[in-house]
Amino acid sequence: MGGDREAKGIFMASADSIFKEFREHSVAEFFRKNRQMLGFAGKTRSLTTIVHEYVTNSLDACEEGGILPEIDVKISLVNGDHCIVRVQDNGPGIPPKMVGKALGMMLAGTKFHRYMQQRGQQGIGAAGCTMFSQITTGKPVHVKTGTGNGKVYECDLTVDVKTNKPVQQNERNSDGEFRGIVVEGEFAEVKYDKGEYGVMEYLKRTALANPHAQISFEGPDGEKQLFPRAVNSVPPKAVEVLPHPLGITTNELVEMAHHSEERKITSFLQQNFARVSPARIDELRSAMPNFDIDKPPRELKWGEAEEMVKAFGQMKWIAPSTDALRPIGKEQIEKALVNILNPQYMSVGERRPKVFRGGVPFMVEAAIAYGGGSGRRTADGSVAGDVIRYANRAPLLFDAGGCAINEATKSIEWGRYDMRDFDSLPMTVFVNFVSVHVPYTGAGKQAISNEEEILDEIKRAVMECCRDVQLHLRGKAREGERDAKKKAIMRYVEQLARDLAELSGKGKAEDLQKKLIALVEGKYKKHIEEASLEEISGEAAAAKHAAENENGNGEE
Amino acid sequence: MAKKSSEAFEKLEGLGRSMVSEVMKGDSPEFETPIRSKGNIDYDENFGYLRLGDKKETRTFVNVGQARKFMQTVAVAAKCKKFLEEDSHTSIRGLFYQLKFSLGEDVEEELFTEQSESNPLIEDLEVALTLKREDLNLNTDRKGVVAGKMKIIDKFGGEETKIDCSKQGRSGWAIPSDVDNGMEFEDVDADYVLVVEKDALWQRLNEDKFWRKENCILITPKGQASRGCRRLIKKLAQKKLPVIVFTDCDAWGWYIYWAIKTGSMNLAYLADDIATPQAKFVGVTMRDIQDYDFLGKLTINAKEIDIKRAQEMLDYPWIARHKEWVDELKTVLKTKKKIEQDALQGPRLSFVGEYLREKIKAKKFLP
Repeated sequence: MGGDREAKGIFMASADSIFKEFREHSVAEFFRKNRQMLGFAGKTRSLTTIVHEYVTNSLDACEEGGILPEIDVKISLVNGDHCIVRVQDNGPGIPPKMVGKALGMMLAGTKFHRYMQQRGQQGIGAAGCTMFSQITTGKPVHVKTGTGNGKVYECDLTVDVKTNKPVQQNERNSDGEFRGIVVEGEFAEVKYDKGEYGVMEYLKRTALANPHAQISFEGPDGEKQLFPRAVNSVPPKAVEVLPHPLGITTNELVEMAHHSEERKITSFLQQNFARVSPARIDELRSAMPNFDIDKPPRELKWGEAEEMVKAFGQMKWIAPSTDALRPIGKEQIEKALVNILNPQYMSVGERRPKVFRGGVPFMVEAAIAYGGGSGRRTADGSVAGDVIRYANRAPLLFDAGGCAINEATKSIEWGRYDMRDFDSLPMTVFVNFVSVHVPYTGAGKQAISNEEEILDEIKRAVMECCRDVQLHLRGKAREGERDAKKKAIMRYVEQLARDLAELSGKGKAEDLQKKLIALVEGKYKKHIEEASLEEISGEAAAAKHAAENENGNGEE
Repeated sequence: MAKKSSEAFEKLEGLGRSMVSEVMKGDSPEFETPIRSKGNIDYDENFGYLRLGDKKETRTFVNVGQARKFMQTVAVAAKCKKFLEEDSHTSIRGLFYQLKFSLGEDVEEELFTEQSESNPLIEDLEVALTLKREDLNLNTDRKGVVAGKMKIIDKFGGEETKIDCSKQGRSGWAIPSDVDNGMEFEDVDADYVLVVEKDALWQRLNEDKFWRKENCILITPKGQASRGCRRLIKKLAQKKLPVIVFTDCDAWGWYIYWAIKTGSMNLAYLADDIATPQAKFVGVTMRDIQDYDFLGKLTINAKEIDIKRAQEMLDYPWIARHKEWVDELKTVLKTKKKIEQDALQGPRLSFVGEYLREKIKAKKFLP
């Protein structure tokens, strides 16, 4: 990739530079009408979405600032069923003049127009929360922030729904060493729930995928939970890459073109996409002879864009770079699982990047935790097998039905791995989908699209862990069986020794008993080693063989 | 202690010693016994009866599936050795109760819980050690009565009793379960042995002094012959006395004959001791109707179990090889009729004797 312009690594030292790339979109009105699409559907879900937007922003900001995150979330009840949500982080903070744009303007975040792997992607989040507070309680969101330069800024924030402009009121400046951000808002049409869609579960899952973060929570009932940090290093920063022509949709192409300052479509394509060389431009020109490729990108029409995407699909491209992928990492996942679930056994897979839609790189991280705190506690107190889904470390709690991770795990024949009754086993299947562009099925960003390459790769990753856990379970079962067998035989030793002494007319019962005990102990131990070594090595070889076959088929 | 008993004693102790030496060497003790199931039973042409094959099974203590049975087998053997030492006898049920106890205060398991567990282990010991349970001082139910010129010395309970089977009046001498240990056949003065299925017919012939007139030993097993009864018949046959069997004319009765002659599946492991292949069948047969008109009118309907047994018998190769028997069985299947021994009392009570005398003299036997 050296020499290419596609990977413009962004290393931000200060908050100012993070926020210099704001763009403005007037979609506040759109939000009011379509809040369900954005995750504000259902009372429990709305509350979890609010916490999600704030926490995600904090994690992303800390990561960019190279800071180990400490995030405190507190929810309290006021005015009957209104919830006050307060989220504080120790991130880089926001410069006062940027607060409005960051938290009070839809699609104005730092993420929308940048092609890099981050938790949030569309910049609708925090502003959406401001808007939600405003339309459910009529109250502004209170923001306090400091960048660590000795100044602290506070204000009340609302959105002008007509113009999508933030309104900052009651601004106060004071001196202080505070660094980070505190957001506090009052929301109605929300409900605090302790179930699998609630805030607590969301934070637990967030902690699982972000072992470098420390997250504390206090609920309205006074319940407190601390998810301590398991890893003391900030994950490597996300790298910004240009999109590959094969991974672009018509919609995205039109959006990008209309925001472009370039004078010609040709230069727009070369500046904003990876692997677009003059030779490819010439090829495109001859593929679309009736299309004026030299007009300004602002004038690109939907139909033309659609045709262009089709033409991209016919052309030969150099494969996209996978450098921008930032997996959690095997070791980090292991530490997180031990930290939060303390399982009896776990298996964490490691797989190489793949591409979907012919050009978008992605990677699947899968793990299975068994026993301990693994699995889901159901309402009746029993344990059920659980699938926890992530996209770029952000937990996906809702819309499980349509999600590729769910589809893939559902299609696994659990019986093959001695886990036929998956639904009642104490196990957690962990899947993190890693990509610069996560193909969500909706703006709610809770489900990954069911594309064949994605389904296939998730299934393989999980099955790899299944095989490992199966070997462990079998070993355990064998151990237990052996123990039971030994006990059963031992019960007969005393009587046998007595009768043997009597029948043979020689030897003492006590001596015979000692000999028999030693015999059973000895045979039993020998039995284990022989059996387990043989079986495990045999099975491991078979499993490895099967895995190799699968890989062989899958990667061609 | 009688001679045979001490042989059994030696065999039991030998079994124990070889197990103990295995244990002392650090090996799992084992017990090998021929398999007694159907798959290991065959009709032996040379011997002329059903015998066990060569298949054996080995029980080893460290195998969890065999440990309990192994322990139980040794317990049965040790208990039998004790009976021999004490010169006391009991039934297999008595043995079971001696061994029905808990394996320990904190163990919810008994050495034996059901008699069905201990019974097969006794048979295992019998066949593994080539002994009979009677040799192990285990009695079986007595069944069968004998009368005739035969003198026996019965050494029992420290006493010797002389028994003269020709002086037992109307009841005859009850055949004990063990006719080997402590039993001496002092004087047998007879020309042949007549085995009569039914006690009623035995009493008829006893009253008619048949055994005295014909100089035979008259035995009734009272239905299917017990082990002791079969053993006695075998012992008499070994004294060169011909054995002639007289039963009802139905599959049930005929099977009593065949069990005496070729042994049975259940007791195939004892066949060398209890099968009498030289036995002959005198009647009643279906063909008798041709010679004795009145029998044709005295048939009764065969029961379903007779029909079923007749069909089974046709499938036994050692029976099917005799054309005479195939004809008899097929006649039963065709007519669905049977003739009881008792029918021979139709013309007059003493006709039974006449019938037998005539047929035996003319050697009108079925093989």
